[in-house]
Amino acid sequence: MENSIIKIQGLKKVYNPDTIPVFALNGINLEIEEGEFIAIVGPSGSGKSTLLNMIGGLDSPSEGSVEIGGIKIDELDSKKLIDFRLKNIGFVFQDYSLLPVLTAKENVAFVMQLQGQADQKCNKRAEELLTAVGLQERMNNRPAKLSGGQQQRVAVARALASKPKFILADEPTANLDSKSTSDLLDIMLQLNKEEKITFIFSTHDQRVIDKARRVVWVVDGKIDKDERK
Amino acid sequence: MLLKLAWKNLWRNKVRSRTIILSIILGLTGGIFSVALFNGLTEQKLSNAIETQTAHIQIHKKKFLDDYDIRKSIHNHNLVSKTIKENPLVKGYVTRVVTTGMMTSASGGSGVQAFGVDPKEEKKVSKIYDRIIDGKYFEGIKKNPIVIGEKLAEKLDAKVRSKIVLNTQDKEGNIVGSAFRVVGIFKTNSSNFDEANVFVKKKDLWKLLKANGSIHEIAVVVEDEDLSDKVKEGFVSKLDSKLEIETWKEIQPELAVMSDFSERVYLFFIAIILIALGFGILNTMLMAIFERTKEIGVLMAVGMSKSKVFGMIILESTFLALIGATLGMILSITLISWTGSSGINLSAFQQGFESFGVGTIIYPQLSIGFYFQLMLMVILSAILFSIYPAFKALKLNPVEAIRSK
Repeated sequence: MENSIIKIQGLKKVYNPDTIPVFALNGINLEIEEGEFIAIVGPSGSGKSTLLNMIGGLDSPSEGSVEIGGIKIDELDSKKLIDFRLKNIGFVFQDYSLLPVLTAKENVAFVMQLQGQADQKCNKRAEELLTAVGLQERMNNRPAKLSGGQQQRVAVARALASKPKFILADEPTANLDSKSTSDLLDIMLQLNKEEKITFIFSTHDQRVIDKARRVVWVVDGKIDKDERK
Repeated sequence: MLLKLAWKNLWRNKVRSRTIILSIILGLTGGIFSVALFNGLTEQKLSNAIETQTAHIQIHKKKFLDDYDIRKSIHNHNLVSKTIKENPLVKGYVTRVVTTGMMTSASGGSGVQAFGVDPKEEKKVSKIYDRIIDGKYFEGIKKNPIVIGEKLAEKLDAKVRSKIVLNTQDKEGNIVGSAFRVVGIFKTNSSNFDEANVFVKKKDLWKLLKANGSIHEIAVVVEDEDLSDKVKEGFVSKLDSKLEIETWKEIQPELAVMSDFSERVYLFFIAIILIALGFGILNTMLMAIFERTKEIGVLMAVGMSKSKVFGMIILESTFLALIGATLGMILSITLISWTGSSGINLSAFQQGFESFGVGTIIYPQLSIGFYFQLMLMVILSAILFSIYPAFKALKLNPVEAIRSK
C-alpha cells in the first residue's frame, strides 16, 4: 500500500522463550494507511493489546519489525523511542489515565509542553481541542469533577495535542455507558473524517466494531481476518 | 511545567505531605535549638573565662607559670608594653604583679593566687569590676583594699570591710604577710575561680613582696578572639625569646578542646537531623511512587523523558524539604531570638553549672551562617535521599506500570 504509515512485518512476541514459550504474537503482517479508522478485535489473551503496545513502541518484538513513517521503531534506543512517541503517537487508555492534579486544559497542554512548546501556544491549542471534543465549559475542571465520558474526551484531546501521526486507543469505551460511547465515537469519527486523523483501537465493544471502517481479528497471536467495510 | 506538576503532586496526599513537613519542622527546630543551647553554653564559658581570667593573650617570663616564683619577672616590661601598644589589633593590655599565697581569716584559710593590679587600667582587660555583688571595686577603702570572690568570702566567713591576711614569700624568699580589708566581693560564673583568686592594688603587693616595679604578667585583649593567634605570632617575632607568649587556648587547653568538641557535637546533631529527614523523605517518595506507578507509566508512554521523570521526583522531595526547612528555621530563629535575649533559667542546676564555669542563665545563640549552611545541607540531603526513589521510578516498564492498579 502506497500510503502506509505503519508497516508490520513478521512480528512475534514470545514470553518465557527459554522455559515454556508463550507466543503473544506469532507472525503478524499488517499495513495501516493514513486516515484509517481501524479496530483490532479479538478475545482476551489473543494478543491485540500486545500488538498495540508494539505499534506504540511500548514493548519490543522478539522477531520482526514495526516501521512507522519509514522508521523501524524497534531499532531505536530508549531515549529516541520516548521522543518518537512524544512526536508521533497519541495514546488513549481504557481508564483515561489523566493526571488528577491537573485541570482538563492542563492535561491537554502538558503533552505539548513536554515537546517544549511555549505555554501560550499550548494553552491556545488545548482550548481548541477541548472545544472540538465538546468540553469548552469544563476546561478548568480537574478529572475528578468530570464524568467517565468527559474524561475520555479529554484523553482524546490530549492524544491529539502533539499532532501525532496516529492515535492508539486501548479499549477506549470499556468503562463508558452507551451515551458516552456514542458521543466519543462520533467525535473520533468526525476528527478522522475532517482532520484525517488515523485511529487504531483495540476493542471488544461491538459499537466500536460497527463504526470501524476496517476490522482486524487477532486470534492466538495471528491475524485471523482483515475486513474492510 | 515540571515545577508546577511537582508542586501539585506534593499536595495530592495532603495528610502525608503535611506529616513529613511537620516532622522536618520539629526535627530541625529541636536539633537547631539544641545546637544553639550548647553553643550558648560554650560561648558563655569561653567569654567568661576570657573576660575574667585569661584575656586573649598572656605574656610571662618563661617557666614563671611552673612555680610562680616572683623572681621570674618580665624584664624591660616597658619595652614589651610599647611593642604591644603599637599593634593595631590590640584592644587593650594591662601589667600585673602575681604571687601565690595563703589567705587567712579568723575562720580559716585558703590557698590563693593574688594579682596586683592597677584598678583603673584593669578594666580594659578584665570584667571583674562588673561582677561585684557586694561592696565596690576598689572604692571606699584606701589602705590595703582587696577584692575577693564570693566562694572565698564564704570560706573565710569574710564580708565587706572584713580584715583578712595574705601570707606569701617575698623576693628574698622570706615568709611575709599583710592584712587587707575586703572592699568588694565578686561572683563570676566559675566558683573555682572565685575561690582561688584575689585582687589587690599593684603598689600594695609590690610593698609586700619587696619587688617594686616587678611585672609578672601582661594580659592582652585583641579586637577579635579569632585574631589571637595572629597577634601572638606578631609578638613572638618581635619580643624577647625568654618570654612565654600564650593565647587563651594554650593557657586553658580544656577550653580549646571544649570549643573544638562543640563543633563536632554540632556536626553530630546535624548528621542525625539530616539522616532522619532523609529517611522521612525516602519513605514518603517511595510510597508516592508506589501509589503512582500507573501514572508514571502513562507519563513515560505519552513521551515524558526519563530525565524529566527523574527531575519531577527530585523536585517533589526538594519542595518538601524546602518548606519544612524554611518553616523549621523560622521557628528556630524565633525561639532562639526569644530565649537568646531573655535567657533560659537553669538555676535548678546552679551548683553544677558554676563548677563548670557558666552561669545558670543560658543564652542560646547561633550565627546566621549556620542557618544558611544547614538550609543548603537539608536541600542536598533531600536530593540525595530522593535519588533512590527517582531511580526506582525510572526503572518502571511503561507497559507493566500502565497495567498496574
